[in-house]
Amino acid sequence: MLILVAKRLTAVVLILLALTAVLFALEQTSTSDPIKTMLGPGASQALVAQKRAELGLDDPIAAQYARYVTDLVHGDLGTSYRTRRAVSADIATFLPATLELALFGLVTAVLLAVAFAVATTLRWPGAGAFRLLLMVGASAPAFLLAIGGIVVFYRELGWLPATGRTDFVDAPTGPTGLLTVDALVHGRPAVLGDALQHLLLPGLAIAVGPAVSIGRVLRSSLVTTLRTDYTRTARAKGLREVEVMRKHVLRNSIGPALSMTGLQVGLMFAGVLVVELIFAWPGLGQYTAQSIPVDDFPAIAGVMLLLGVAYVLINTVVDLLQAAADPRIEA
Amino acid sequence: MRAPLAPPTTALVAEVVDLHVGFTRNGRQVEAVRGLDLQVRAGEVLGLVGESGSGKSVLSLALLGLLPEASQPRTRGVVRVAGIDMLTASPQVRRQVRRDTLGAVFQDPMTSLNPTMRIGRQVAEAAGSGAEALRLLRAVGIPDPERRLGSFPHELSGGLRQRVMIAMAVAGHPALVVADEPTTALDVTVQAQVLALVRRLRDDIGCSVLLITHDLGVAAQVADRVAVMYAGRLAEVGPTAAVLQAPSHPYTVGLMKSRLSLTTDRHRPVQALRGGAPDPADVPPGCGYAPRCPLAMDPCSQTVPDPLPVGTSAHLRACLAEPSRVQDLALTAAPVTAATAVPAQRVDAGWAARVGGIEKTFRVKAGRGRKATLSALRRVSLDVREGESVAIVGESGSGKSTLLRVLAGLEQHERGEVELGRGGRPQMVFQDAGASLTPWLTVGELLDERLRTEGLPRQERRTRALAALAKVGLPEAVYGARASELSGGQRQRVALARATVVPPEVLLCDEPTSALDVSLAATVLNLVQQLRRELGMAVVFVTHDLSVARIVADRIAVMYLGRIVELGDAEEVIRSPKHPYTKALLAAVPDFGVAPPALKGEPASPLSPPTGCAFHPRCPLAVPDCAQPSLDVGLERLRVGADLLLDADSRRVACIRPKEL
Ligand SMILES: Nc1ncnc2c1ncn2[C@@H]1O[C@H](COP(=O)(O)OP(=O)(O)O)[C@@H](O)[C@H]1O
Ligand code: SF4
Ligand code: SF4
Ligand SMILES: [Mg+2]
Repeated sequence: MLILVAKRLTAVVLILLALTAVLFALEQTSTSDPIKTMLGPGASQALVAQKRAELGLDDPIAAQYARYVTDLVHGDLGTSYRTRRAVSADIATFLPATLELALFGLVTAVLLAVAFAVATTLRWPGAGAFRLLLMVGASAPAFLLAIGGIVVFYRELGWLPATGRTDFVDAPTGPTGLLTVDALVHGRPAVLGDALQHLLLPGLAIAVGPAVSIGRVLRSSLVTTLRTDYTRTARAKGLREVEVMRKHVLRNSIGPALSMTGLQVGLMFAGVLVVELIFAWPGLGQYTAQSIPVDDFPAIAGVMLLLGVAYVLINTVVDLLQAAADPRIEA
Repeated sequence: MRAPLAPPTTALVAEVVDLHVGFTRNGRQVEAVRGLDLQVRAGEVLGLVGESGSGKSVLSLALLGLLPEASQPRTRGVVRVAGIDMLTASPQVRRQVRRDTLGAVFQDPMTSLNPTMRIGRQVAEAAGSGAEALRLLRAVGIPDPERRLGSFPHELSGGLRQRVMIAMAVAGHPALVVADEPTTALDVTVQAQVLALVRRLRDDIGCSVLLITHDLGVAAQVADRVAVMYAGRLAEVGPTAAVLQAPSHPYTVGLMKSRLSLTTDRHRPVQALRGGAPDPADVPPGCGYAPRCPLAMDPCSQTVPDPLPVGTSAHLRACLAEPSRVQDLALTAAPVTAATAVPAQRVDAGWAARVGGIEKTFRVKAGRGRKATLSALRRVSLDVREGESVAIVGESGSGKSTLLRVLAGLEQHERGEVELGRGGRPQMVFQDAGASLTPWLTVGELLDERLRTEGLPRQERRTRALAALAKVGLPEAVYGARASELSGGQRQRVALARATVVPPEVLLCDEPTSALDVSLAATVLNLVQQLRRELGMAVVFVTHDLSVARIVADRIAVMYLGRIVELGDAEEVIRSPKHPYTKALLAAVPDFGVAPPALKGEPASPLSPPTGCAFHPRCPLAVPDCAQPSLDVGLERLRVGADLLLDADSRRVACIRPKEL
């Protein structure tokens, strides 16, 4: 297991290096001129030249790349052209909101997927209707779901809020930045309830698609596992059906579903960024949306790098979970 | 000994009355069991025998109350266990019966244990506690049981895994253990151990055992009574001795005659049951065996025979023919015809293939991310003469298939030479013919592929292909079929046709019959013999079955842990084996006699072959010298002092104690 962890971590480092190389290459070949973006179109030749030298833009490419990576390692993602703050500081500001939404979406997706798979496999009553509802939901893209959700649950029914993270102006902002957690820490159940209400629509909008993908994979692997000889052995022992399910079937079925979850996380990032715009969610989606029109390359690259790291780390965790679940998986 | 001949009034632990089980498969009605009556008496071992598809497994699942719901079984009749009808009782009640009264052992110990749960927990689930699990593992003879509690199934050998299954089956003192082909997936020496264990546990615990097997020889060894099933009905049932000595149903006679044993006449074609195994989707009216029965008469196609007593009330048969006609059938043998006798090998023949000093290792995963070296072949030398047939026998993991693959050029070896005669590359036939035939190609295209290498014109290729199909007994229609549309026996024939359509000098066969039913196996063996005779090929035939080896081969090479330990004339090796391992292997072959003495210990792992003579941990003749790391036992002619022993010019044995052999 230790060797497996070491191997996976080496792979992570290599993938991230590749990612930085891609980002760096993009920056080099980008048509927009960072100096112009910074100094404005009217800057003098001399000023531009001085700024270029200052930023090291005249150094050899290799040296520039080395500096870029070294800075990254030290947590320096550069300075945003737009906000003129360190990109890392900007990200620290906007990340918690996105993180909270993404985590909420992921947990919801997994719960929906398990319910979907178990209910349809064991033919629970109501499984058909539940399945239909999910499938219809999953056939629409996240932004349509989001808009539909707003129309129905905010405008028509008025049950749920449609913008932002909270209605409380005095909502706590620390220590974690995750509003639900901070509300608990500060002992404010009203804020917690309100935050969950705000999370519900955007969270569902990003969760339904992945839920169906994960659920389908889990379902088919449940069906396969239920037909295995060892499930028959478990029944032949006279175990209760819940025990058979819990101890023998689920454990042996989660492998493929875990892989699928890892893949879906990437798609969910895309969903989060779009859905944030629709719900005016103060997260990285907003930040990126504002950075793109002004060619704020360091900001965009910072967010991309962060998402890349998150994606790779999550999939590494998935691999390790799989190895833990199945003793036959070797390094 | 618990009442093997007990009167029918003995307490019953299970009773099946007029059982019918049907499924719907691909829209077709499948009648798996069609009116079966059977009783399992307290404390008895009841052997249930029949070819695949005869409904044995469906019966066992019905007894366990575990008929697959997904296949929507339709049932009629009664299956009573501990006073409960397992067909109609609620799921909770059936579960309780499984828990308290029943135990189950299934065919494949590899897939029947949960791969992600430790052995100890799996046994404890059935046993109730960890301490009881440990006691059970010890009781079924698992070495070092404390350590094994923490093992996962894939870390155990097949024999140990089946012992674990048995431990779970006998947990909680069941009244009946249902064992469905518990030894089919195991090597003969391990099979003998497991059968001995089943019998011992029955004696200790006093439970009944329903032992399902396709091999009459296995049932003969441990069963008090034998029931023979055909096409979902009972053909015959009675005390083991009565059924074996006076079989009174033509199907039982057919099974016994098509069964290869160490005394089967080598100079006749192996007797095969006519036709294929029963197809439960297409059962004839009347007696199900009629299409294959040599005694079939007019009434047989209309009247379904019921089991009626023959002589003693304990022996029942379901057949319309006179018992005397069945007895006559048992006494007739297939005629020897000049065309079928296999020619004796030519003594002056040159060699067709030879390997010398072959060494082959594999790098394998050894757990926890470590790699280990597995010695598959350890300096193996063998000459195959022109037109000769050599059988390589040994348990799984002994290196038989690897040697064959080296010969075929499919595997790189580290040291030693492979030389082929004039004929060029040998052709190969595998155990799983289905998997070795490209699924999207038709049989015609498969054969054409081989013929194109000969540069023949298209029309001639077709003619040759059809001729090859005819030679293996397949109709022309097969030319356009794909592998998935063929039965197992047909696929094996296609594989043989492909291998011989351009006759090779050497034909390599890797267990081509071990996945087939007795009757199919017999026809494939006959076919190999016939092709060999007609095409003058040499054949190297890998098998774990000594009776098969004796039939097909002129010479037998016995392998143990990557070495040939004995080599000699087939008949001679079987008649008077010399090497202790050959002796053990022969003793473990199940037959209609008494139970064989089980060889101690598990086959050692090729990951760490024992030092010196690798057989020493299991060898009854071993002396301390046998374990010497510096000892290198080569294959030697048998001699005592300066004298060569009988038939020593052909016999070679790897043992340092030739005098004692
Ligand atoms: N779940 C199932 N669905 C459809 N057909 C089945 C099912 N189980 C068994 N059968 C069919 O019933 C017949 C008898 O099968 P089985 O009891 O497994 O025979 P045996 O154990 O004697 O080889 C076979 O043709 C088999 O294909
Ligand atoms: S009833 Fe007829 S067909 Fe059936 S086994 Fe007897 S003789 Fe053969
Ligand atoms: S060398 Fe020793 S251990 Fe090996 S077979 Fe001969 S007597 Fe047995
Ligand atoms: Mg079966």
